[in-house]
Amino acid sequence: MKVWRHHAVLCLFIAGCAALAARVVYLALLDKEFLQDQGDARSVREVVIPSRRGVIYDRLDEPLAISTPVVAVWSDPSKRKLSRADINRLAPLLGRDAEQLADHLVRHANKAFVYLKRRLSWTAAERVRALGIEGLHFSEEYRRYYPGAETAAHVVGVTNIDDRGLEGVELAFDDLLSGEHGRKVVLKDRLGATIRDLEYIAVPRLGQDVALSIDLRLQYFAYRELKDAVAGHRAASGSIVILDARTGEILALVNSPSYNPNESLELGFAGMRNRAVTDNYEPGSTIKPFAVLAALETGEYQPDTVVNTAPGYWAVRRKLIEDPVNYGELTLAGIVRKSSQVGISKVALALPERAVFEVLQRAGVGDFVGSGLPGEAIGTFDDSGLRSEVVRATLAYGYGLSVSPLQLAQAYLPIANDGVRLPLSVVKLSQPPQGERVFAAAMTRQLLSMMEGVTERTGTAPDAQVPGYRVAGKTGTARVVVSDGYTDQRHVALFAGVVPLTDPQIVMVVVINQPSGPKISGGAVAAPIFARVAERALRLLGVAPDAQHLIAAVEGRRS
Amino acid sequence: MIRLDAPLMVSWGLVLGFGLVMVASASVAMEAPFLARHGIYLAMGLMGFLFMLCVPLKVWNRTYMMALLGALTLCGLVLVPGVTEEIKGARRWIDLGSFTLQPAEIAKAAMIVYWAGFLARRDEALRESPLPALLPLVFFAALVALLILQRDFGNVVVLSAVLGAMLFLAGLRLRYFGLLVLAAFGALAGLIWMEPYRVERLVSFSDPWASAFDSGYQLTHSLIAFGRGEVFGLGLGEGIQKLWYLPEAHHDFIFAVIAEELGLAGALALMALLGLIVARILHTARTALGAGDKFAGYLCYGVALLLGVQTLINVGVATGSLPTKGLTMPFISYGGNSLIVCAALVGLVGRAQLERDSR
Repeated sequence: MKVWRHHAVLCLFIAGCAALAARVVYLALLDKEFLQDQGDARSVREVVIPSRRGVIYDRLDEPLAISTPVVAVWSDPSKRKLSRADINRLAPLLGRDAEQLADHLVRHANKAFVYLKRRLSWTAAERVRALGIEGLHFSEEYRRYYPGAETAAHVVGVTNIDDRGLEGVELAFDDLLSGEHGRKVVLKDRLGATIRDLEYIAVPRLGQDVALSIDLRLQYFAYRELKDAVAGHRAASGSIVILDARTGEILALVNSPSYNPNESLELGFAGMRNRAVTDNYEPGSTIKPFAVLAALETGEYQPDTVVNTAPGYWAVRRKLIEDPVNYGELTLAGIVRKSSQVGISKVALALPERAVFEVLQRAGVGDFVGSGLPGEAIGTFDDSGLRSEVVRATLAYGYGLSVSPLQLAQAYLPIANDGVRLPLSVVKLSQPPQGERVFAAAMTRQLLSMMEGVTERTGTAPDAQVPGYRVAGKTGTARVVVSDGYTDQRHVALFAGVVPLTDPQIVMVVVINQPSGPKISGGAVAAPIFARVAERALRLLGVAPDAQHLIAAVEGRRS
Repeated sequence: MIRLDAPLMVSWGLVLGFGLVMVASASVAMEAPFLARHGIYLAMGLMGFLFMLCVPLKVWNRTYMMALLGALTLCGLVLVPGVTEEIKGARRWIDLGSFTLQPAEIAKAAMIVYWAGFLARRDEALRESPLPALLPLVFFAALVALLILQRDFGNVVVLSAVLGAMLFLAGLRLRYFGLLVLAAFGALAGLIWMEPYRVERLVSFSDPWASAFDSGYQLTHSLIAFGRGEVFGLGLGEGIQKLWYLPEAHHDFIFAVIAEELGLAGALALMALLGLIVARILHTARTALGAGDKFAGYLCYGVALLLGVQTLINVGVATGSLPTKGLTMPFISYGGNSLIVCAALVGLVGRAQLERDSR
């Protein structure tokens, strides 16, 4: 063999090696920027870091809404299909039907992102992870947990599946609570799993916490009493609003029916309506104290001014105003105590045309409450018909206008607060807000004393009595307005109360809509609820009793 | 004095160990226990190596026609329906339960034994006239036909190059060698033109980025691996192309994984080691021929050429210098057949060295 042939082969081999080595050098050194860009384009991705939504607390720092980390399980069918065996193993852990899940995946077979299950708890997600099924992705998200459940549902509200506010405070304070998602750049493998974090573009900004004026304890038993009462009286619905008489803070706001925000809900479900805020009712006789206040303000009326209500009915124009019985001669205080239609109508028509209307206006009837809760109703309240005596007379006993339970509570607040009107707030206040004097303190004091008569044995609502405390209040029984006028069949039973009388701490409005049991009046239906709720509320809030007989009894025991 | 060539054995040992590590890294994301299997194949390869070391070369020299028959039979067997299963559109494997036999890999070694036996007998006649080469060329054409039916184009190219070079080394006159090369290229062009998928591979090879998410997909990710690796690589185990981007990361494209994780330095070092192995075997061949031991000499040339050509093609494919072909990198890629056969071939070379030194 000639040696050159050996060398020729060797040289060719070495030349081949050298050429390839040069190619490797070219790729690794000269072409690297292009190649790295191409590589990044295929494997570097920007992803969202979910930010935690702020916590909603009650006034005592009890959590009302907390975000807990949960896991969304998804897959990318366009890259990797799950086998039927895997789906069968997976479905029970996700709480889904295997057939249905398989169908779902087949229908979205060319999609790159399909949720298999959202809001899975960490422990459940760990069990899914343990299956070791390739092609499953897990991303962190948050779900809202509401410890107050249906008790506080209407105030706190609820978020949607993407963690945005949908109702209540969750909606009203959404921007504050939401925070901002962060973003980061990660390296991903071809199947979409994150290999490692490369760079943070924006750190997530946590949502801010919100402390509400609500007291979850009051909220709880107010809801329980209301629910029992709505069921017991076979009513359509009911609402209770409790205000702090000194600050205008909403201590409790409940409706029945309610809903459990921890469960998945259908939007538009009737239980979601925050009736205390969004629904209007004719307030009926709960308006009478304002007519009395208008009378006191003229200076021509005193609590003991006598009005003759005999014979128990009175025709104004073609409108017949009736009392249930002939009360005969009643003092102004007596009109309040007995809730005499004839009496209050006579007083109202003796006053200047706009007097009662303006008192109501100053108290806030017809105004936007501005509590911070979404969907506030303004109701109907206008002065267009005041020239009519019928309108003036009926306005004095609460017909021809409508208010929400929250508005009614707002209107009662200046009566309790020595004539100073306060803005209502659903957020806990660090100091009492600037109020506006709308009535003279002496007048409201006189009025409160007269309203105490309502809860005495001879009044319309002795059931509103709270042991140990003096209660001022007013019942109301209104007929429900339907499309063709008033109906005698359906009523609204109301009670608005202030307690304790000597140093008012709370204002409470109880509205029971369309009770269909044997009892329908405010005194029989709403007043007992007021008494039970107020009794516990006063005890919980540590309010000193002011009833004389009780104080005497306690002092007697001491001495 | 009995001894094996130390540079060959040391570099071979290094390459085998390196291969094990890289298979471990490249298959890290995959479910199948590739590392364990590779270890078993390695042990089987070393047994094959020792076996070949113990069997006198004259046994193979005497039975060289049997090797040809065996190669043709095995490759024919693959095509019998029922014996094999189709995988990725190709029939190349015979399932033996826990082991999958790839006849083409064994046929490559057998053909080298056959050609060495043939040349040992007829090389002098070949220098006079090209006619004696006709018989092995006809047999080779039969094997090529069988391989093409298995759609195994890569091994056809490798074996053609090896046969051409062996005939050249045996002293085939240049004019006939030239004719042979021309004929080979003609046949190659014809084969490519016959199959649309080969044309497609050729097109995507010329501009892989134009079809980066289609036919050029593998190649682009292989090239990206080189670019990401730079000089010293991302570090062992740090590569990402193997994470599902490169479908054959532990197999045909393991060189790309090496380049990404160990960089230019690692890739060139591996090429140098493989080059050294080939060079040492070429040296063994030359010494054997020089001493008149023709069978051993041509056998070693065949082994050196097979390993060398396959390495060049594998690197060429991974770096986008050659069109994509399914060829393993000797000693490095995962794959039992290739590993065991290559180790056995090194055993043959070792035996040649032992017999050389014992004379």
